[in-house]
Amino acid sequence: MSVAGPLALDASDSLGALAPSTASGETPLTAAAVGSVSESIDWWLVGDPADWWFVVRNVDYLAGGVLLTVGLTVASILLGFLAGFPAGAVEVYGEGLPKRLVSTAGVVLRGTPIVVILLVMYFVIGVPQVNLGVGSISPAISASILGLGLRSAAYQSQIFRAALSSVDDGQLEAGRSVGLSQFEAIRYVVVPQALRRSIPGFQNEFTIVLKDTSIVFAIGLAELLTRGYDLFTQETTAVLEVILFISGIYFVLTFTTNRALDYLGTRYAIPEGESA
Amino acid sequence: MAGATRPRTVGERVADADASAGKALLVAAGALFWGWLVVSWVNRWLGGAIAPVGEPFVAPDAVESAFAAVPGLAAVAADAAFVVELSPVLAQGTWLTVVITGVSLVCGFFIAVPLAVARVYGRFSAWLSLGYTELLRGTPLLAQLFVLYYGLNLAASVPASLSGVFPRDVVWVAILGFTLNGAAYQAEYIRGAVESVDEGQITAGRAIGLSKIESIYYVVLPQALRYAIPSWTNEFVYLIKYSSLAGFITVPELYYRANQVATDTFRYTAVFLILGAMYLALVLTASKFMERVDARVAIPGLGANRER
Amino acid sequence: MTDGDFLRVSDVSKWYGDEQVLDEVSFGMDRGDVTVLIGPSGSGKSTMLRCVNRLAEAQEGSITLDGEEVLSPDTDVDELRREVGMVFQSFNLFAHLSAVGNVALGPRRVLDLSENEARERAANQLERVGLADQLDSYPAELSGGQQQRVGIARALAMEPKLMLFDEPTSALDPELIGEVLEVMRSLVDEGMTMLVVTHEMSFARAVADEVVFLDDGRVVERGPPEQLFERPENERTGRFLERIASHD
Repeated sequence: MSVAGPLALDASDSLGALAPSTASGETPLTAAAVGSVSESIDWWLVGDPADWWFVVRNVDYLAGGVLLTVGLTVASILLGFLAGFPAGAVEVYGEGLPKRLVSTAGVVLRGTPIVVILLVMYFVIGVPQVNLGVGSISPAISASILGLGLRSAAYQSQIFRAALSSVDDGQLEAGRSVGLSQFEAIRYVVVPQALRRSIPGFQNEFTIVLKDTSIVFAIGLAELLTRGYDLFTQETTAVLEVILFISGIYFVLTFTTNRALDYLGTRYAIPEGESA
Repeated sequence: MAGATRPRTVGERVADADASAGKALLVAAGALFWGWLVVSWVNRWLGGAIAPVGEPFVAPDAVESAFAAVPGLAAVAADAAFVVELSPVLAQGTWLTVVITGVSLVCGFFIAVPLAVARVYGRFSAWLSLGYTELLRGTPLLAQLFVLYYGLNLAASVPASLSGVFPRDVVWVAILGFTLNGAAYQAEYIRGAVESVDEGQITAGRAIGLSKIESIYYVVLPQALRYAIPSWTNEFVYLIKYSSLAGFITVPELYYRANQVATDTFRYTAVFLILGAMYLALVLTASKFMERVDARVAIPGLGANRER
Repeated sequence: MTDGDFLRVSDVSKWYGDEQVLDEVSFGMDRGDVTVLIGPSGSGKSTMLRCVNRLAEAQEGSITLDGEEVLSPDTDVDELRREVGMVFQSFNLFAHLSAVGNVALGPRRVLDLSENEARERAANQLERVGLADQLDSYPAELSGGQQQRVGIARALAMEPKLMLFDEPTSALDPELIGEVLEVMRSLVDEGMTMLVVTHEMSFARAVADEVVFLDDGRVVERGPPEQLFERPENERTGRFLERIASHD
């Protein structure tokens, strides 16, 4: 199959700019990959101690990335909740045009890769710089939050929709029978139960957003993965060390988040194991 | 269900008519989309039998003047022509997207089933399986692709037998990455389904003299894999979307090619919107297709949609 | 009383953790015998049944079937289960297979019959339990009574030496119990050796050669039904039978 065409790939393309640090023979990553580890390296150590030192020296730089990653995650989840919860409610209790609009928007957001959503936010909608007085949020950051947040809203709406409709109809009727209005019955009877039931799905969503913050790489925002990329393009012998290190950070982040939400799930479980 | 017993209101009938018109429109759009893709691919394999390779089937100028003639569409005439001009590139990129997704999904499935079975029925192997899935699901896919491509430089060590199958060997690296990652996610969905199969099923299998492995193979898996379809479809859809990340390691798939056009021409709006629509079409096709499969293999008497 | 020696259960004990569920249980049956285990729930009768085909493992004692030690570590468990059919309280039909598929799976995969032979054997067994017209129905499309008859046919298709019934009618609506008992009666008439756990006392009275009353994992009393039901020697047996009778 030929690739020749009007858009034949050339070396100047934005993403392929970095040729993978090639098999220059003595790079530690090649050594590790082949398994012939030189005598200066302990058998259990992947990579080269000097390159691990490089990682350690740049830990502050990476920590800045972690901060941005966590911030993006929290802001996006929050936006996703603020938009996704009402959207889920509309899908369950709404009808007509609003319901159709909400569900169509959901289908589009869930059916499009996050990288495309981010690019649309950044290049097409062109989110402006947001000035907060104390500091300003760059267009890349607000585009990221908006993209990740709205996409998350589309998924969270499904979590809440399922949770809301899983609450027995009798609950709503019972609420009405003690004199609550439809809205009050939903608000005070159905929602509290539904929120508890949505914790497992929410947990999943949280880690998905956390991992997908890495994709803002596409619009050059200096979060954890982008900073890692910057580091290993600078010091091409340390590629494996840098990526394994940041992967480890991501793993710790998702793992602790999951355990924390597990705890939340058991803490607020309705007695007699109704939370699942 | 209430509609069956109670006369329908005018509003409902209008809504129904709307819905069926919308559905017909969607089916027509789908047919057009896939028709165009398949014809484009065939044309490329045949070396340009229908239209010269790399050229659209319809002249962009013709499209532009046709659009310009219609009052309401005149404003987007230039964009429409641009999209038509783009169409061969999009079709070419979509081919790779479809192949990468399909191959990775199937390969991942064959890793996922043993992983899921080990997780439910194994002892030591359950821990191995748990470790694998936690690790792969706990780190970003993009980071995993970077490990394989930049970290281990695997593109340079693609076996000779596989080398050259795709325009760039890095495609194999992407397939490996998606296979390993997708296996972890598929394993989770399949594990849930395996656990949902009643324990009595294995007991009954053992009681007629099947070994444990045979009971799992002949009794549990045929049921579990059916139950897994709705959630497994999620992974299918995810993989279609996340296959776009292959573009970050220079795989010339749909996103990569579109992104290049956008940066070359600065026509971000047209390119990214059409790109989103392309993925949406792929995703909708996949989920409709899986709905069909689910209904087709449903066990008679049990609900076709045993969702979650 | 002389114990039969086709199936001999001798001093079988079993614990779940610290809790003893079987305490030196002994009884025996001859080929063609029908033995019914009765007792309150939690008395260990289902566990006893499962020890016979080793779905549960007894820790002490001995069980011999046709002269072979069942509890020996050398016993091929799959081989044993081939020879001992089992019918479950909750049917446990393979949900993804039709009636004929359920019955044919064992002959096909365990006995290695050809697809056609297995199907034919399955069809014959289903006819035997009166389901010749439901061969291609799936479990979820059948009534509870029909499902349990498929369960019986599935066990019969392996041509077992001994059939175990674990409360085969307990999960059924009252009006469906009759059809299952009727099939079981016809098996008795054919001379099948059957070990049955049930609460159907009239069935036990009519077909059993021996009734064993278990309580707290121990054999409290055993004997021919007329003796055990009419003149129970042990006071606990009497109380249990009264309680059951008041429910019927």
